[in-house]
Amino acid sequence: MPVVELSYTRLQKLVGKVTKKQISDSLPFLGLDIESENKDSVRIEYSPNRPDYSTDFGIALGLQGLLGVKTGIIKLNIKKSNQYLISVKPAVTKIRPFVTGIVAKNGTVDDKTIKQLMAMQEDLHFGIGRKRKKSSIGIHDLDKIQFPLVYTTTNRNHKFIPLNSEKEITVSEILSTTDVGKDYGSLLGQSSQVPIILDKNQNTVSFPPIINAAITTVTTKTRNLFVEVTGLNKDDAEDMLSVVATILQTAGFTLESVNISGMKNSSPKLESKKISVNSSLINQSLGLNLNSSKIISSLKKSRLDAISKGTNIICTIPSYRFDIFGPMDLVEEVALGYGIHNLEPTLSPSQTIGNTNPVSVKLKSLDQTMIGLGYLEALNSSLTSKRVLYEMTNRIPSTIISVLDSKSQEHTILRDSILPGLLENLSRNIHESYPQKMFETGTVFQYDDPISEKINFSGISAHKDANFTEIKSMLQSALKIGFGIKIETKTVIHPTFEDGHCATVILNGKTIGLIGKINSKTIENYKIRIPVVGFEVSLSDSIL
Amino acid sequence: MSQVFHDIEKKIIISLRANPKQTPEMLEKSTQLSPDQIRRGIEWLKLKDLALVTESQTSVFSLGKNGTESFQKGLPERRLLNLLQNGPRKISDLQKELGSVFGPSMGLARKNNWIEANSEQISINKSPLDLPGEKTLKLIGNKKLSKTEIDFNDLSGLLSRPDFIVEDIIKTKEITLSDSAKDIELSDSTGDIDVEAKVPEVFVARTHPLKDTIDEIREIFVTLGFSEILGNMTQSSFWNFDALFTPQDHPARELQDTFYLDKMSAKKIGTSEQIRKVSESHKKNWRYQWDINEARKMVLRTHTTSVTIKHLAETKPDEARIFSLGRVFRNEKVSYKHLVEFNQVEGVVVGKDASLRNLMGIQREFYKRIGITKIKFWPTFFPYTEPSLQTMVYNEKLGKWIELFGMGIFRPEVTRPLGITKPVLAWGGGIERIAMLKYDLNDVREFYNNNLGWLRSATKCQ
Repeated sequence: MPVVELSYTRLQKLVGKVTKKQISDSLPFLGLDIESENKDSVRIEYSPNRPDYSTDFGIALGLQGLLGVKTGIIKLNIKKSNQYLISVKPAVTKIRPFVTGIVAKNGTVDDKTIKQLMAMQEDLHFGIGRKRKKSSIGIHDLDKIQFPLVYTTTNRNHKFIPLNSEKEITVSEILSTTDVGKDYGSLLGQSSQVPIILDKNQNTVSFPPIINAAITTVTTKTRNLFVEVTGLNKDDAEDMLSVVATILQTAGFTLESVNISGMKNSSPKLESKKISVNSSLINQSLGLNLNSSKIISSLKKSRLDAISKGTNIICTIPSYRFDIFGPMDLVEEVALGYGIHNLEPTLSPSQTIGNTNPVSVKLKSLDQTMIGLGYLEALNSSLTSKRVLYEMTNRIPSTIISVLDSKSQEHTILRDSILPGLLENLSRNIHESYPQKMFETGTVFQYDDPISEKINFSGISAHKDANFTEIKSMLQSALKIGFGIKIETKTVIHPTFEDGHCATVILNGKTIGLIGKINSKTIENYKIRIPVVGFEVSLSDSIL
Repeated sequence: MSQVFHDIEKKIIISLRANPKQTPEMLEKSTQLSPDQIRRGIEWLKLKDLALVTESQTSVFSLGKNGTESFQKGLPERRLLNLLQNGPRKISDLQKELGSVFGPSMGLARKNNWIEANSEQISINKSPLDLPGEKTLKLIGNKKLSKTEIDFNDLSGLLSRPDFIVEDIIKTKEITLSDSAKDIELSDSTGDIDVEAKVPEVFVARTHPLKDTIDEIREIFVTLGFSEILGNMTQSSFWNFDALFTPQDHPARELQDTFYLDKMSAKKIGTSEQIRKVSESHKKNWRYQWDINEARKMVLRTHTTSVTIKHLAETKPDEARIFSLGRVFRNEKVSYKHLVEFNQVEGVVVGKDASLRNLMGIQREFYKRIGITKIKFWPTFFPYTEPSLQTMVYNEKLGKWIELFGMGIFRPEVTRPLGITKPVLAWGGGIERIAMLKYDLNDVREFYNNNLGWLRSATKCQ
C-alpha cells in the first residue's frame, strides 16, 4: 500500500473549520490507515484504487465531505483556450499512440507540494499506469515551452538534457545509464524509434514514458504548469490526467484546455459520468433502510452528486473517480458517506448447519491417537529446500517442483515428503532432553501434469534405545486405533534408512509408505547423536 | 501433622543436634552417608530453611620442592655453616660441595654476619642456634598446616624464598541447624515420603499450539453454521487472480508477491463459458488484451479465496455458509512478522438476507468467541469486494488497535461472469496473527521452528 506524509496544520488549512482531532478520527473512515504520527506530521497508507488520496489536496476533499464542511461533486472548470496545441504524428501509432494534456495556470507550488506531486506521479505510474506501460505522466513548467508541440518519434541518437542532468546525452545513453532508463527502457522494446514530445523550436519537452527534459523542471518559482500523459489507450491516459487536473485545481490553479489532434487523438473532455443504482440494492447490501434523501446526502458526503428518480438513484461521478465501475461501488460510497461507524452489527440466526470436512475430522482423530502414543505434533513449511529434502536424506529427486525467484533460500521447492522436515527438527533440538518423539500430517506435492496434492503422515522417535520394533508397533497401533486398518511390512532398501532395518508399509497389498531406522549417514548429515527411527505413509488414497 | 523428612535429612538433623557445627566431610563420617547423599540432604534442608550453610576459606601451607629438600638436608645456610664447623674452607671447595645452593646460602650468611670471608677462605663469625625458618620447616614437615597452627613471623622468611612454601586456599562449608530446625519433630514412620519436595519434569505429548488455534477457529466457524470445504494449495492463476477480477497486468500478480511454479501450466482451468465471460469482464473493465496463457500459469495460492470462488462457481448456491481454511503463500522476505507460508481462513455467506451489517454481526460473534470484545470496523480496499471493510481489534498489551480480518461483498464483476447470481459476502484473514496474540509471541517464525523448548512449555489454554 502506498504511503503519504501529511501535516495536520496544512490539512486543517485546506479542509476548513475542523480540529486536528476531527481529522485524525475521520481519516480511517475514508479508508486511510494511520501508519504513524509525530506531533504535526502523520503518515498514512491509502488504497491504490484512490490515487487522488496521494496528496493532501485530495485527502482534504474527502475530509470536507465526511465532516460536512463541503459536500457534493468537485467540478472541473476548464477554460477553453486555443493557445496550446499538440499534433500527433503517425509514427507514434505503433509505439505509444495516445497523448493528452492540460494547462494549469496562476498557482504556486511550495517544496511540500512539489514533493507530493512527484509522489502522486509515481503512484499513478505504478497503479493505473501499470508501471508506466499503460500510461505515464509528465508535469512541466509551462513558461519554458514554446507551443505548438508535436508528439512524434525520434531515433536513439536524439540528444537532449534530461531531468536531473546537466549535459546533453542521447536517448541510448539515457536508457543505459540513468535509473529510470534502466527500469523502464524495456517498455520501448527493440524499436529503433522512440516516442518524443518536441516544442515549436524542436526542443525536447519529454521522452515518454522515461523522462522529462531538464529545461521544464518544476520549481518553487513555477507559476504555470503543463501536464501531458501518453499511453497505449486514450481512456486510461485521460483517467490519469483527470486525477492530476482535479488536484491542481484544488491546489489553486486555473485549468486551461489543450488542443490535441491527429491519429485518432482529441482534446480530453474529463467529463463526469452517470450511473444509476436502485435504493433497494443499497439497503439490502448494507442491511439498512435509508430513504432517498439520506442516500443522496450520503453520496454527497462521498463527494458525488445524486438525484432520485422513483426508487432509482442517479449518481454523477467525476472523471477522477474511475475506480467506480457500477452500482455496487456506489453502495460503498453510500456506506462511507453514511459512516461505517454508524453501521451497527446485527446477528441473524443461521439458516444453515455447519459441518467440519470429513478429512479434517479424520486428521484430528489421528492427532489425538498420536498424542496418546506420546508423540508431539510438529508443523513444517510445505515450501522447503533441496538441502533438507534431498541432500540431507541422500534421496535422489525425480521431478522437483520449484517456485520462481523465491526471496528465501530455505523456501524454493515444494515438499514431496514430510520426514526430512522432522529430521531437520531433531537436528535443531539436540540440546533438548530425550526421548524426542514427533509427528506431522500435511500436504505433499507430486508432478502429475501439472500437480497432485496428497496428505502424508510421518513420525519419528529419537532416543538411545530407538529401534525398528518400537516404531512398527507404534504405527501399527496408530493406524489400527485411528482407522481400523492393519498394515504389513516388507523389507526394502532406501538411501535414508539403514539396510536390514527398513521396510515398505503395505495396506491391502498396496505400498503406502516406508518405515525403519534412519541410517548413520543421514543422522550424521543432520548432526544428530542418537538413534532415530521413523516412518511416512500416504493417507490420501487408501485411508482418508 | 509433623513434617515428613527423607531418611537422609533425618540423619543429618540428628547428627547436627549432637554436634552443631560440622563440615560435609564431618557429616559423612558421623552419618555414614555418601558425599552425594550429604550434598543432596544439605540442599533440601537449606531449601526448607532448616539448615544454614556458611562458607569460609582458609590458607593451608605445605612444603614446596626446595622446602622439602631443606627439610631433609637442612636449609642451604645451615649446610654452609655445618661445613665451616671444623674451621675455614676454600671457596672453591664449598662451591663444589653445595652446588646450586652455594650462592643463596652465602648471600644470607654474609648479610647476617654469620661468616667472614677473605679472598680465598671463609670462616664462621658467629653461629646462631636456630636459623630463621628452621622451626617452621620442621613443624610443617610432610604435613599441611593452617595459618593458626604456624608462627607467621617465622614463616614469612620462607614464604619469600622460591618454591619453599606452597599456599593453598581451602574453602570449607559449615552446616548448622536453623532455629526452626532445633525443635522440629522427627517422625519415625518409614513409609511416608516428602510430598512437598520438587519432582522431575515430564513432557506432555500435544498437538501443535498453532494447530490448536486452527482447530478452535474451525470449530467456531462450524458453530456459526459454516461448512468446511477443502481445496488445493497449487492453483491456476485463473482461479487465484482472473476469476477474482485482478487484471493480468496488475502489480499484485507479479513475481515479487506471488510464487509462480516453474514451468507449470494448467491444461484445463475452467469451463469454456467461465473462461469466456471472465476474459470479457477483464477486457471491458480493465481495457487490455486478456491472455489465456497467463491464466494457465500455476501459482501457490495467495489466498484461500481461490478455493472459495471455484466452489461457488461450481455449485452456484442460493443460500450457503461455507468456509475454507489452509496454507497460503507470499513471496516475501521471512522476518519476525512475515512468513512465506501461513494459514488463512475465509468464510462466505450467500443468500438474499446477506448484508454487510449481518456480516459485521457474525464477525463480532466470532471475535467474542476467541476472547476479543473490543472491535471496530474501518473501510478498506480489496480488488474483489465492494464495499470492503477491515476489523480493528484493540490489543491491551500493545495498547493499540491492530488490523485483523478483512471482509466485503464480492463484486458483481467477480460473481456475474461465473454465473453466481446471489450476493456473496466474504470474510477472513490470517490465523497466525490471532495465534500470536494468544500465545503472546513477538516472532511469527516460532510457529514453524518446532523448537521443543517452546512446544513443551507453551500453555494450551490462554
